[in-house]
Amino acid sequence: MSTEEISFIEKYDLLGCIQCGRCTGGCPVSMRTNLNVRRFMYDTQNEERLEELSERPEIWDCTTCYTCAARCPKGLEPLEVLIGLRSLQIEEGRVQPTVRDALESIFKDGNPWGSPRAKRLDWIGDLDVKVLEPEAEETTDVLLFVCCTDAYDPRVMKVAQSLVKVFQAAGVDFGIIGEDESCCGSEVRRLGEEGLFEMCDEENVELLNSFNVNRVVTISPHCYNTLKKEYHGLRHPVLHYTELVAQLLEDGKLTLSKEINKVVTYHDPCFLGKQNSIYDEPRYIITRIPGVEFREFDRCRERSLCCEGGGGKMWVESESKAERLAEIRVTDAKDMGAEVIAVACPFCLLTLEDATKVRGIEEEMRVADILELLAEAL
Amino acid sequence: MIRAFFLGLSSQVREGGGWISGRGEESMNMIVCVKRVPDTAESEVHIDASGRDIDKSRLSFGINECDNYAVEEAIQIKEKLGGKVTVISLGGKENDEVIRMALAKGGDDAIRLDDPAFAGSDGFAVAKALAAAIKDLEYDIVFTGALADDDGYAVVPVALAELLGVPHATYVKDLEILEDGKKARVGRELEGGLMEYLEIELPCVLGIQTGINEPRYASFKGIKQAAKKEIVVKSAADLGLDPSEVGEAGSWAVLEKFSVPEVGEMAEILEGDPEETAAKLAQILKEKGLI
Amino acid sequence: MKDIFVLMEHRRGELRDVSLEMLCGAAQLGGNVVAVLLGKGVDSFAEKAAGYADKVLYVDDPMFENYNSEAYQKALSALIKENQPGLVLIGNTAQGVDLAPALAVELGAPLVTDIIALEMEGEKPKPTRQFYGGKLNAHMSLKDADMYILTVREATFQVGDPSKSGEIVKVENPVKEEITYRKFVEYVEPEVGEVDITQSTMLVGVGRGIREDKNLPIVEELAKALGADLAASRAVVDAGWLPPDRQVGISGKTVKPKLYLAVGISGAFQHVTGMKGSELIVAINKDPDAPIFSIADYGIVDDLFKVVPKLTEKIKELKGA
Repeated sequence: MSTEEISFIEKYDLLGCIQCGRCTGGCPVSMRTNLNVRRFMYDTQNEERLEELSERPEIWDCTTCYTCAARCPKGLEPLEVLIGLRSLQIEEGRVQPTVRDALESIFKDGNPWGSPRAKRLDWIGDLDVKVLEPEAEETTDVLLFVCCTDAYDPRVMKVAQSLVKVFQAAGVDFGIIGEDESCCGSEVRRLGEEGLFEMCDEENVELLNSFNVNRVVTISPHCYNTLKKEYHGLRHPVLHYTELVAQLLEDGKLTLSKEINKVVTYHDPCFLGKQNSIYDEPRYIITRIPGVEFREFDRCRERSLCCEGGGGKMWVESESKAERLAEIRVTDAKDMGAEVIAVACPFCLLTLEDATKVRGIEEEMRVADILELLAEAL
Repeated sequence: MIRAFFLGLSSQVREGGGWISGRGEESMNMIVCVKRVPDTAESEVHIDASGRDIDKSRLSFGINECDNYAVEEAIQIKEKLGGKVTVISLGGKENDEVIRMALAKGGDDAIRLDDPAFAGSDGFAVAKALAAAIKDLEYDIVFTGALADDDGYAVVPVALAELLGVPHATYVKDLEILEDGKKARVGRELEGGLMEYLEIELPCVLGIQTGINEPRYASFKGIKQAAKKEIVVKSAADLGLDPSEVGEAGSWAVLEKFSVPEVGEMAEILEGDPEETAAKLAQILKEKGLI
Repeated sequence: MKDIFVLMEHRRGELRDVSLEMLCGAAQLGGNVVAVLLGKGVDSFAEKAAGYADKVLYVDDPMFENYNSEAYQKALSALIKENQPGLVLIGNTAQGVDLAPALAVELGAPLVTDIIALEMEGEKPKPTRQFYGGKLNAHMSLKDADMYILTVREATFQVGDPSKSGEIVKVENPVKEEITYRKFVEYVEPEVGEVDITQSTMLVGVGRGIREDKNLPIVEELAKALGADLAASRAVVDAGWLPPDRQVGISGKTVKPKLYLAVGISGAFQHVTGMKGSELIVAINKDPDAPIFSIADYGIVDDLFKVVPKLTEKIKELKGA
């Protein structure tokens, strides 16, 4: 039984699966939960079992990091099958209250945090930030897509504020959408709410297209990935801030005069690295900060250990009480002598910082966005 | 799309009770009244130029919180016992969003009461309009929210019951349908969390309090699908109501003006950044012998 | 001026405060104050009321052993029709709200609920109530009528010393038939958890401002550092982040600790009423207009996510020292 005309087998090309197990073999979450995505690739071929399978709690453990799809020799996307099962639960309205609240909040106020739209610009404080006019005569170089988490979360606001300082120091001509900026919908789609995602896609593309800009730059890799690859009809090129900032440094537009004498490591975000192959720009930026001693994680680049912030996990309670991947990550950082974990994603920032507190190492292990380090080095 | 819920309905015999629920037979006809309110819990509220309303231009709107729980309660009963849920709302076209959300969750049909004459209605006037719409319908229970987030009148459920001539209970936090759907065991939440349990005969009106259940999510697709269901719109004339019975004219009281509450003796506000204010506060607590 | 009826509210052997409060409030309005008491063997309440009223109408009947809105409505309706008061005051409580609108509809008497202030213009009340969770006061204008009904918020009026000696008039129960369509069954106490916050010396109250239960640890740390217990607003309990026995407010507990530290609580009346008796009240809230600041002794207008961890740190320092 399926909710759409296309069956699961057709939609996800399930018959192409050879059950090799490379997906589960690389799945980071399988270390700590029951999630066996290989089994789901097989079991979902039976239409009559779909409902029962969609009720399994472990389908909500998937972070949509994309490791399974990246490893699949047949080019299949096992994570999409899990998202498909999630959408069956969404149709029934059977999701955790926290997920429900996040989705309702996006529908009502354009952000998942239950905050009023009228407060979307509070993060700006005293900073001088241009709010773009739609259909403006002159072109602004960059439309900065802020992100709901950067706009509303008290910790992550500092990243957006740091970005403003860095852009201003480099003389970047940029503006923001303002109060009308709404959630990109990355997590909405990954939670299985296809209908609401379509709305995000349509409305945001129309809104973004109405601005006279050369390019859109995002702070979050999730916004980046969705705007660049999942939206339909967006007419502007989309960049992640690391791409732009690396360029600014290379062009000599940004001078870093203060030192940060710390051992810094970099945690590749799944949505920037694995999914979009942006590995070098963040490293270029970090190594250009004076005083920084850069060390790599053993699991870096494509093998970066997912922090479990994606796939809607920010709003999902996991059943598993086993040690979180983020805790393993920060412990690894400490073991290799790092003092700072640099990140480039608001979810990585929150989950890793949270993990340092759970582990009781928040005094010795700082988690900071590259932008924060840059702003401090200006 | 809605699957498993109806599987359990075909035959279900209660142990020791002896009622059999079957589709059509002992099913419950329910009506849920829903209100669209501005979300002011987190937002600032500003009196507008007229002094008799607030500036709603930057507020978002949604279903009244208690009503959301009422919708869920009605749908859960429908899932357990079978039956029908009719959604009613008083307001303009903008209310359709809230109505559709209720339909998406499992409501069957909907009525919207729309008339310029309804403007300025207090709880009594609203109850009169609802009563006019409901009195000729068949129902076992009429659900409303216990009170509204915006005006907090808490009048509608009880006034409505009186107008319809049926028993009522409000501040309902627990509900169990008894026997053959002729009675209900109702728990009312009193001060201090004490629960007052009573037995009430159906049909009745129940004012639902928050916390009675966990409202489900209504998917976007579901809401769009629900948009295909017709929402019957009725005017005051359709309901046989004279304009003098509704709106401001039909209300018990009219809002003369708003004012900002006077702040009593204000707290001594500690100034500084978090480091400083935290230090000041800790010092105060120490001086008071609390730490 | 016409008589003022004041409905006495009682439950399980206790006369509720709002009853005497309303009698005292009514006494300032002019006109005879008539306490209306429906109960079974509640003579002591009649005597108490008599100290604040000009007359007590007392119906002593098993029908009124426990509250039943239908029985109350019928009795009141009969007494009102016979005595023709100009104003009827009922407490804005779970009982009062369950009764007043039905009575008002039946008698055609305009009703305003949850009043927080009252002036009279001759026989006509000019009440004030609140909208938007207490953020605005609303000055109401009632339609002209021969009789008005108001439900009065608790603590709107103060109780003074008894200064009257009203005549207690025992009235035969005007309700002749048993009410069958709504019957009282029983009271059920709320569950008691491991902590009885009414006994706590210090409480840290958590409100909506905490955003998600994932953020509770921040406040738990603070409570631990202080040696305080956690309490919660209704929103937090409804969301399931803390159990119901932690709820402070009208439908929760009334607490009077040495310290009540309200974190992310706006201070809506329903919550404040449960903790305003605390010895020292401190509030941390981002919103400078939050009503909580008008009942707090000290306040910090800032982001709780920034302040609370710092506060925990400072407290630990001072304690360690």
